[in-house]
Amino acid sequence: MNHFALTIVGRDRAGIVSQVTKILFDLGCNIADSSCSILGGQFAMILILGHPEITDRDSFGDAFKPLEDSDLSVALRVLKPGGQIRTNIFGDICMISVYGSDKPGIVYRVAQALGEKNINITDLNTKLVGSDERPVYVMVIEAVLPENVEEEDVNGWLTPIRNDLQVDITVRTIPTVEL
Amino acid sequence: MAVRPILLYPDPILKQVAAQVESVDELTIAVIQDLLDTMLESGHSVGVAAPQIGELIRVVVVDVSKSKLGKDNNHGLLEMVNPEIIEKSGSKMMREGCMSVPDYTGNVTRAEQIVVEFTDRAGQLRVIEASGFESVAIQHELDHLDGMLFLDRVSSLKTDLYRRKSK
Repeated sequence: MNHFALTIVGRDRAGIVSQVTKILFDLGCNIADSSCSILGGQFAMILILGHPEITDRDSFGDAFKPLEDSDLSVALRVLKPGGQIRTNIFGDICMISVYGSDKPGIVYRVAQALGEKNINITDLNTKLVGSDERPVYVMVIEAVLPENVEEEDVNGWLTPIRNDLQVDITVRTIPTVEL
Repeated sequence: MAVRPILLYPDPILKQVAAQVESVDELTIAVIQDLLDTMLESGHSVGVAAPQIGELIRVVVVDVSKSKLGKDNNHGLLEMVNPEIIEKSGSKMMREGCMSVPDYTGNVTRAEQIVVEFTDRAGQLRVIEASGFESVAIQHELDHLDGMLFLDRVSSLKTDLYRRKSK
């Protein structure tokens, strides 16, 4: 099985998922992993595809042309062998909520602080909410804490950002339980 | 008395609603014993529901007293026949894994405190108030009696992970 990463972005409307997945189904592609969501007024799809025979970009031919003709942007990345396999990241899972008056640097400063401590971000979503006069920026991060890093440590490392940017930050680990 | 294999999804039994137990007879006691043996054998498990060993009756065993998260707040070993949650409050998120759905964990929000009514091994009606990890464990096992898996309660697959640590 050969693997590809396909991204599709375009103005949101009903029918995008069915249009895209019909093409993939007809091609004989497996959707191994995917995440699709509305971002702003755009619908964004990211899919990891598998195909038993197709090995390169050219073999897809003009299969995606109907999508481009309907004003969707399409990008295909050919994955190296093994590029579809998620490496197991061990450690406690930690949710970090950050919110406050909108200002530049909220995402960067938090990501920088986590990156410096080798904390792996596994999911990150941001949204601008509130009114036009008082925009509020909200970010929710899921991260995996390396060994010997506790919730309180992360809390402490983020305190300078709380003060500098006047944002509220809460950190909570989610215990993993086998039931 | 026997350790029984844990059924794995997609075994259809896991998606069926288990039957009410009419009376705690020898057969029920035998299932309770098998659940206990199976729970102990699996080592890390804090609970097993009868459908997980292929018995479609409303019986579960739960014991969080040996686990790190539950050792300070528990009722010890609970053998529950026809358990029913009669009150729920608060909410608590944990990342749950299940022996019947190996290799996958997902974030599930459940009630932080519950009041459960059940019949015990001796046929006595009991009511207990559980909270924290014990509450989550009971709710997880009771879901099995209604053919519900934690997958039915996960809100986002985006943030899933594989097995947390190799045992």
